[in-house]
Amino acid sequence: MSRKRVRYIWIPLIIVLIAIPAGFFYVDWSKGGSGAGLYSRKWVPEAVFAYWNPDDFYRSVDSVMGEFEGEQCISCHEAVTPGIVKDWRASRHSRPGDGKDTVYCSACHGNNHQELHLPTPEVCGGCHSTQHAQFVDEKRFGFPSHALAMERALDAEHFVDKPKAEVTACLNCHSVASKCDSCHTRHRFNAAEARRPEACITCHSGPPHPDDETYFASAHGQLYLAEGERWDWSKPLRKGNYKAPTCAYCHMDQGRHQVADKSMWKFGIKQINPLTSGNEVKRKQWVALCSDCHEEDWSRQQLAGLDAERRQAWSKLYAAEGILKQLRADGLLYPAAGERPPYPNDWLDSIRPRARIGFFEGQASAFYNVSPIERDYFEMWYFDNLGAYKGAAHGDAGFVLRGHEAMDQALVAIEAAAAKLRRLGEMEKKAQARRPDPAALWLSGEYTEFNRERN
Amino acid sequence: MKRLLAILLFGFSVGAMAGAQAPEGEFQNSACLECHQQQDAELVAAWRDSVHATAEKAATCVACHGNNHDKAASRARRDATCIDCHGGQKAPAVHSYTTSKHGILTRLEQKDWDWEQALASANYRAPGCAYCHMHSGNHDVGTAIRTWRPEQATGSDEREQVQDTMRAVCQDCHAPRYITNLFDNGERMLNIGRMKVREAAVLMAQARGSYQPAGLEDAEKQFLKMKTQHLKNVYLGIAHQSPDYQWWHGQAALDGDLIRIRGAIDQARRLLK
Repeated sequence: MSRKRVRYIWIPLIIVLIAIPAGFFYVDWSKGGSGAGLYSRKWVPEAVFAYWNPDDFYRSVDSVMGEFEGEQCISCHEAVTPGIVKDWRASRHSRPGDGKDTVYCSACHGNNHQELHLPTPEVCGGCHSTQHAQFVDEKRFGFPSHALAMERALDAEHFVDKPKAEVTACLNCHSVASKCDSCHTRHRFNAAEARRPEACITCHSGPPHPDDETYFASAHGQLYLAEGERWDWSKPLRKGNYKAPTCAYCHMDQGRHQVADKSMWKFGIKQINPLTSGNEVKRKQWVALCSDCHEEDWSRQQLAGLDAERRQAWSKLYAAEGILKQLRADGLLYPAAGERPPYPNDWLDSIRPRARIGFFEGQASAFYNVSPIERDYFEMWYFDNLGAYKGAAHGDAGFVLRGHEAMDQALVAIEAAAAKLRRLGEMEKKAQARRPDPAALWLSGEYTEFNRERN
Repeated sequence: MKRLLAILLFGFSVGAMAGAQAPEGEFQNSACLECHQQQDAELVAAWRDSVHATAEKAATCVACHGNNHDKAASRARRDATCIDCHGGQKAPAVHSYTTSKHGILTRLEQKDWDWEQALASANYRAPGCAYCHMHSGNHDVGTAIRTWRPEQATGSDEREQVQDTMRAVCQDCHAPRYITNLFDNGERMLNIGRMKVREAAVLMAQARGSYQPAGLEDAEKQFLKMKTQHLKNVYLGIAHQSPDYQWWHGQAALDGDLIRIRGAIDQARRLLK
């Protein structure tokens, strides 16, 4: 073997051997900052983040000294915060029955008042091991997911970029990954409460995920609204126990805590191939579940209807994306990338600015500091389209119709806006007038500057 | 004759009070006030000071309590009583609360609660509208939770008072540090919303100086939406603890407004060139 050939083998090998540990080291290092997640070194948390992400941020109060046992906590907090004590007294923790020990405050928060902790899922899992194992197991199904929700929020470009007080609401909902009381509210921690659809809607509502509206308007939801008050919510989520399905009945059937394990269409946020072998397995699981009440054929048809609705939606969305990409290619976006604050957190963008269009280019974080036509598409994709998907998935035909009508209108508006941009662009070229510089209007302003300096 | 009637009425009401039994029958607002003035002048004075009494369409005793004494107190304490006048289920002021954890728990559990209890001491597992806004039965509605004005910052002298009055309500259930942290965070969040509106105001002022009003119609419309809806949504989201109103109906919507205002000004500018 020639010396040259030896070199061809060794040099790449050495580079790989250095690069891999360096990569691991870099990721590990990047998580060691004042914030949390991949970009933890770039931001400082708000104090309230301690309540949404206790594992990373909660520090005990140090105003009270000493170690306390259960009854002592109760007797003091009965005066300090009577509500939580009343709640606890009404919970199963205070009277577990079957000769089990009472679960006092200290079991979850610790004894030392200067080293108190807020219970994470691991703490609850100390006793509720089945549910906790299921909850953690959900991670392997990827996005969308309850268990991965916090990571997803912390690693989002716009979360890192924006002032932290502005994006507090993100962690408020995404805290479903970091604590159990998003669904089983403290200090009652009731399974029956979490089975009710209302338990989900503080987070599952609003423009990108109108789960509440679409479910309540569906035949399932209408039955629930009419009769749900009289159902026995202590029963497990199994065939025959409920006359109509609720959020949890379908998404947590049998009470399993892998909430999104059957997710095929990924929230409607990107196009997927519904016919992969993996999705066929999920489809069978859905059909089996629907068959608790419906015929198998009927269920298959409903799911095929959802496939068709998605195809239709994506043909509209891709048409809009195509228009935007053509404008970008022709240099007609106004302001263009580079004439507005850069894409958050991306050093490459400051060297070679580029507008983000569509899911795979990261447009989910590009809803501000962009040109109006990009924002129009963001709303078409994130509000109209996701709403239509939720309508289709939850059986609210009216919402599907309205969503598709809104997408049609948005597409027409985007076409008109694009034509205008073209006309103006060409006019400016023809008249050899200098294109007015948008930077003055787009790069300054009280909030824009605050955002740049204080993320 | 009128005076005689008043004396008779007064005599009747005092007599009724002496029996410590609420009188039966149907009443009009004036009759309620006349009698309750004797019983609890402070309560009546508080109501008279409140926006409920001074508003053009006043919320009278009868409007909330009904026109008879049967369950008059418990009826007024329920959310449904407030929601009708405050815009109905879809109004942001209502919807931001009914989708919050407080609102959800109240909706799910209210039928099992004893609504005869006072609006204090965590007598209810979750607060309804009245629990916070009329805490301890304070009829000067809104003073227990002093209303923030979304368009202007809270002065430093007011700040303490606002926090203290709120703390007195929230601490029935929540720890002191939690309340402070949420309050401070909310104030910063609201200030960021105000900042966006101020940024837009500067842009609008400059544009008005340079372009004809006809060219700025879209920008004006968007600016109005920003001030009257989206900033208010941030504020309602903070006050009622609704993440959806803080963000999607609030901050993220304000971001969209800024883009559209700039876009509309850009167009006026390019067409003028």
